[in-house]
Amino acid sequence: MIEALQAIALIPVVAIVGIFISLLFKGIDRILAARMQARIGPPLSQPFIDVKKLFMKENIVPKNSVKWLFEIMPIVSLTASLVVLLYVPLFGFKPLLDGYGDLILVIYLFAIPSLAMVLGGFASSSRYATIGAQREMVTMLSYEFPLAISIIAIAWVISKTGTCIPAFSLGTIFTIPVWGLVGPIGFLGLVLLSLVMLFVMPGEIGTVPFDAPEAETEIGGGVLTEYSGRNLALFYISSSVKTIAFAALIVALIIPWNISNILLLGGTGAIVADALFFLAKLFIVVFVGSTFVRVAIARFRITQIVKIYWGYASLAALFGLLLIAIDLSWMV
Amino acid sequence: MFEMAKELLKQLFRKPFTNRFPSKHVPKSTTKLLKNVKEGMAKVNRPVPIPEGFRGKIAYDKEKCIGCKLCIKVCPANCYDFLEKERKVKYHLSRCTFCAQCVDVCPVNALTSTKEFLLSDYKTH
Amino acid sequence: MNSGKIIEKKYRERKPDKPVKKKRDRKSYSLSIGPIHPALKEPVRFDLKIEGEKVVNVDFELSQVHRGIEWAGTRRNPVQIIYLAERICGICNICHSACFCIAVENIAGIGVPARAHYIRTIYGELERMHSHILWAGVAAHELGFDSVMYYTWKVREKVMDVMEALAGNRITKGIMMIGGVRRDIKEKQVPMLKEALEYYKKGFGKLGDIFLKDPVIKSRTVDTGILSKQDGLALCAVGPTARASGIKKDVRQDAAYAAYSDLDVKAITPKNLLGEVKGDVFDRIVVRLLEVKQSVEIIEECLKQMPKGKIVYEEKIPKLLAELRSVEGDGIGRIEAPRGEVIHYVKLVGEESPFCWKVRAPTYNNLLPWGPMLMGEQVADVPIIAASTDPCMSCTNRAVVTDGNNEEVLDNEAMRRLSVEKTNALKRRVGR
Repeated sequence: MIEALQAIALIPVVAIVGIFISLLFKGIDRILAARMQARIGPPLSQPFIDVKKLFMKENIVPKNSVKWLFEIMPIVSLTASLVVLLYVPLFGFKPLLDGYGDLILVIYLFAIPSLAMVLGGFASSSRYATIGAQREMVTMLSYEFPLAISIIAIAWVISKTGTCIPAFSLGTIFTIPVWGLVGPIGFLGLVLLSLVMLFVMPGEIGTVPFDAPEAETEIGGGVLTEYSGRNLALFYISSSVKTIAFAALIVALIIPWNISNILLLGGTGAIVADALFFLAKLFIVVFVGSTFVRVAIARFRITQIVKIYWGYASLAALFGLLLIAIDLSWMV
Repeated sequence: MFEMAKELLKQLFRKPFTNRFPSKHVPKSTTKLLKNVKEGMAKVNRPVPIPEGFRGKIAYDKEKCIGCKLCIKVCPANCYDFLEKERKVKYHLSRCTFCAQCVDVCPVNALTSTKEFLLSDYKTH
Repeated sequence: MNSGKIIEKKYRERKPDKPVKKKRDRKSYSLSIGPIHPALKEPVRFDLKIEGEKVVNVDFELSQVHRGIEWAGTRRNPVQIIYLAERICGICNICHSACFCIAVENIAGIGVPARAHYIRTIYGELERMHSHILWAGVAAHELGFDSVMYYTWKVREKVMDVMEALAGNRITKGIMMIGGVRRDIKEKQVPMLKEALEYYKKGFGKLGDIFLKDPVIKSRTVDTGILSKQDGLALCAVGPTARASGIKKDVRQDAAYAAYSDLDVKAITPKNLLGEVKGDVFDRIVVRLLEVKQSVEIIEECLKQMPKGKIVYEEKIPKLLAELRSVEGDGIGRIEAPRGEVIHYVKLVGEESPFCWKVRAPTYNNLLPWGPMLMGEQVADVPIIAASTDPCMSCTNRAVVTDGNNEEVLDNEAMRRLSVEKTNALKRRVGR
């Protein structure tokens, strides 16, 4: 009972810290992208300035839109992203809502911000937003499959070899490094799955090259065309929180190690070291999965996105799964 | 393949290509900043050298002007107003397109191109 | 005859008084891109009929940036018009001013010194390099590949620096003069120019690798926005757009001006590199990149061959203006701008300012090819296809059809009536 109350009290703390960290990471991401393009780039605080400015601006609701849907969707999107944050392990701690839901729930929660965007786009009654919403839906449908395969495969490995009971609970997954549980063939499979997950990341968070739903040079912002002011700020925060949450999920699944055991630290030192190490891991995932891909590849057409995710990514994920299955059957 | 990705990773560890302004914000006192720079207390970015023959803001030497109106005749943007009383011209910087045709045509070299190019201002004249 | 038919067909399709289909088509809907849109650098409105993501019909609307430059030109003297002509288009400023100068020189029979011819050629080619590299950046941006845009524009900076050092201005260089050029290329400036050329020779391979070997750029551009040779000929495409479709059309080769008659300039088609001509966006990239290389070679050749001597026919501007005031007649200037052939028509009637000045910018010809290019493509490819002809709207817009809030659409008949009226008015003014 007391534990539950503690968790409830911690929820706002996690939300605020999560938003802060995600905006900070967005700032770092922008500076690194700028440096890669030989630019100076904005200051680190730019995302905060952007959000502040958006909150100050007028919130325009189009005349023909479905107003309640249009207004409520940014809130839904942000709430969903923050809830995801409560389910993934952060800073080397157990997830806050551990035991109230598992990995499958997290996968579904990740779909909600995208769905909110789709609904918001349709509700805004703009043609660009409609096209964007259609594309968002198609993108979502295509990346969910390889993502689900890879996440479930990893959870399956743990459930197969580990002794823990709730196999699909992130609280247990993040304590067991999955790499040690498989032989060389399974290792290869896991590498494939990790790559697939990293590759799904830009699609999941909607950055170039998979940002066809928002492609500014094609449909002028897509789903977000009609959003402005507070609503846009909420979507902005939501997408950056989602980035962090997804990166944290990948961290929990692929690189769950903590540094305090190696450094032989105890007490507060261990917590600080683990937290910093977590941020470093998060940074690596965000850099590889989002920042670098974002600047190094041109935008795909929507048909190409479908082909890439449904075709190549799914095939790679299935192949990885197969390798792991072979490996596990040998071990047994 | 992916030639750009290699280049991007290289550029990540290089200095940005942008030419910076000497200082980030307009200093409260320019002389003080320059003094600080001399003493090594502040740093400014060295400005990019301006090539010879640059067509910047036009400088007008009123003393030399003989009022021949040639600049008025050739100016494509009607920068010059003739002042009947003094038999001199008035130069409107805000209209100038910096073609420097007036500099070429002036028979007494009353008009010259300077190297000044940072001309944004809140004033319109 | 064939071309006439196609244009007629196109026109009939776009005729405004054609009755609108009453039956509502559920499958397709219309999407308007522009006049203000992130993909468009200049205002033009596309009216696309879309089925899903596929474009099934294309219409576009111009004249959002009519500035009345020709009208303003008829109120200025020829020397002033040179600078006005530069401002028709920021990027092709040398072409427009040189073209106007050539037209006036043709009327007045002014002989241009040989050295001035070479200097004009060098500037023209520098401008072509700058324009094509700039275009490459824009194309990358339209593909959502901003890193390449920043990279190409970084590469472009070198040629801008050279132009600034040579002419004193980065963009509107103000270098042309009727009967020659205003500034000489001095002996001490030549090493700098050569160094820049070396830089591009070295950098060209890398730029080529980035654009021609990147799998994503390739997958987005190959087989998109195809303009067949036949369509290109029928719709009078010019410049790189035409050359990418395999039409060997280049004013520098066909009607050499300035120093081009001394140089061996051949129209470049994708055949030179790829061995075949498809006429897609990728081919247009290839042609433009090859032309950058060609420009470097031309400038090198010019520097080798350039004779010494005068750079302008008449140094004293008042004397020149007086001479032009006494001239009567009309003349045409033709120049290969980076985007294609630009034509200036000037009529002088022995007055201070020209009686008539008409400009036909290359984009005007490259508009109609948009039709066959965009048809059947995806919405995602509209920006890159539209950009692939390197459109310049403010160059092109020569007429504006608005009447306050009362929208008035001119049909063919009204247009003809208006032109007849205008011709009669002009005739009365001349007194014929």
